[in-house]
Amino acid sequence: MLKIERLYVTVGERLVLSDVNLEIAEGEVHVLFGPNGSGKSSLVMAILGHPSYKVISGRIIFKGIDITEMPTEERIRLGMAATLQHPPKLHGIRLKELLNRISDGRLRDDGLLRLIDKLRINEDLLNRHVNVGFSGGEIKKCELAQAFALNPDLLLFDEPDSGVDIENLELIGRAMSELLVGKSALIITHHGHILRYIKPVRAHIMFKGQIACDGNPEEMLNQISKNGYGWCEKCISMKKS
Amino acid sequence: MHLDEEELSRALDKPADYGLDLDLSSYITEPKEEVKLEESIVRRAYEVGVDLSRKDSVGSFFQVDHSVLLKAIQKKFEKDVELMTIEEAIEKYDWVEGLMWNLISPYKDKYTAFAAKNRRGGYFIRILEGRRVYIPVQACLLLYSPSITQCIHNLIIAEENSEAHIITGCTHHIKSVKGLHLGMTEIYVRRNAKLSFTMVHKWGPGMDVRPRTGMLVEEGGTMLYNYVLLGEVKSIQSYPMTMLAGSNSRISTNNVIYLSGESNVDLGGGVTIKGPGSKAELLTNSVVTDRAKLVSRGSIVSEAPGTKGHISCRGLMLSDKAEISAVPSLTSKNADSELTHEAAIGKIAEEQLFYLRSRGFRLDEAGSLLVRGFLDISSMGLPKHIEKMIDSIIEQTMKGF
Repeated sequence: MLKIERLYVTVGERLVLSDVNLEIAEGEVHVLFGPNGSGKSSLVMAILGHPSYKVISGRIIFKGIDITEMPTEERIRLGMAATLQHPPKLHGIRLKELLNRISDGRLRDDGLLRLIDKLRINEDLLNRHVNVGFSGGEIKKCELAQAFALNPDLLLFDEPDSGVDIENLELIGRAMSELLVGKSALIITHHGHILRYIKPVRAHIMFKGQIACDGNPEEMLNQISKNGYGWCEKCISMKKS
Repeated sequence: MHLDEEELSRALDKPADYGLDLDLSSYITEPKEEVKLEESIVRRAYEVGVDLSRKDSVGSFFQVDHSVLLKAIQKKFEKDVELMTIEEAIEKYDWVEGLMWNLISPYKDKYTAFAAKNRRGGYFIRILEGRRVYIPVQACLLLYSPSITQCIHNLIIAEENSEAHIITGCTHHIKSVKGLHLGMTEIYVRRNAKLSFTMVHKWGPGMDVRPRTGMLVEEGGTMLYNYVLLGEVKSIQSYPMTMLAGSNSRISTNNVIYLSGESNVDLGGGVTIKGPGSKAELLTNSVVTDRAKLVSRGSIVSEAPGTKGHISCRGLMLSDKAEISAVPSLTSKNADSELTHEAAIGKIAEEQLFYLRSRGFRLDEAGSLLVRGFLDISSMGLPKHIEKMIDSIIEQTMKGF
């Protein structure tokens, strides 16, 4: 579904990803751990094709097509969607209108209505301007609804569980787990709360712009909870030597 | 109010405080031909939100140049609203003249003085005490003859405990490539009355517009003043003044502006808060493109306790040759008064464009969606069908953007 090969990415003069390799097969959900500033969000931006994230070498292959130079919207139309960690406010654009346009007028479709209902996105929120005055939980729910309205095959979730209270976490977790059936996904999480509801098949740790290691999600999360990311540095330097 | 002819004559040489100065001798004051209510005129009115065929309005007023072609109130609303020409109102009520030139000084500048000397028409709308009407009263003022000056005096009174919506569209006929619109409007919102006044302006590159507006809001009264300006105009200078005279009174002005071509527009709004517990809010959202220039002014002076005032100016630049200036001013004469302002001018934010592209929109689709969002009128509190109509007018203007 998604294959990233030896990817190097810069933002301005700064190298934010170096030699990143990652492969997600059809129907697989992966999780990406890593400390703040390690490059997790940069990877999502690079996969989406954010204009500020320049690929200086390497390739991103999606559904067998090299999308490295493809405009963002064309990548989306190929069947990917993402939830962003810090989405901008859109004054004057109502959530309802945006969802309707994203889904090509399918807002009244049962599936989408059920999702809106499941996420407890009420009429009041639907009528508000996107992300303007939204709480942390509302932002995440609104991101999820938009991503699923695109009906994608691959989903990228950037911190779907940060800044969310317990009640909303459960709502979001359950909705994600139900909607991810049969889809591929990469879930970025800093502290792993979302893994109470979703069981990825594989985990990766990003450290200083590199994938430091891959492995079993539960084991890795336990390891990180006990020892933090201190080992990663040694690990990377050992790999290099 | 009695007009001092000598002082008026002196004021004819006085330029306005702001905006381009106009030579009034280059316009004519008498139309060269009679106008009739023909289809092209009716269609033009429709383009500024006035649908003369509409059944669901309280009444309609339509003036072309100096001729009032239509003034009618639906029978079932005759006990709620009075609608007539200003001349008829002066004739009918001896107190009407006392309310004229009360909220606008005729000696303020050459435009007020000229309008005072050459007044021809204008509407008188009075919502009677305790009456509430939820469908709009509509008025359209249209310039037809080439180089004509339209000198109009409007008077609106929302009597105690009344409520109404007025929608007024001002425009010109395509035949008229040059013209000057001088519309004097005085609005009285009496105790606990609520008036929503929405004005849609659509002009052309040869049209100059100098409206003068004065509003008075009494105790517990609410005034919602919405202004939508779309497209290209040669010049506009306007600075509606509001006096929040009574306690717990409120004014909210909401300007939505899309300017193109060589437009030169200086828009302001001034509020003096005298009533304790009163609130003023002046909001402007503007989009400028081509070589259009906009100065957006706002001023709130608070003289009473427990009051609030806020000025917001958001400007979106779609061209490097366009220009927006925001000039907010706050004056507090009471410690128990909270006054704030915010202004932000810039181009469409890259992050917003990327966000929408990440939802599958093409760059041009994302751009127009964001611009359209900027011209949102949903907070104007309009009746739904009026909101829809103005939305479609904006959509029409934005076509091809």
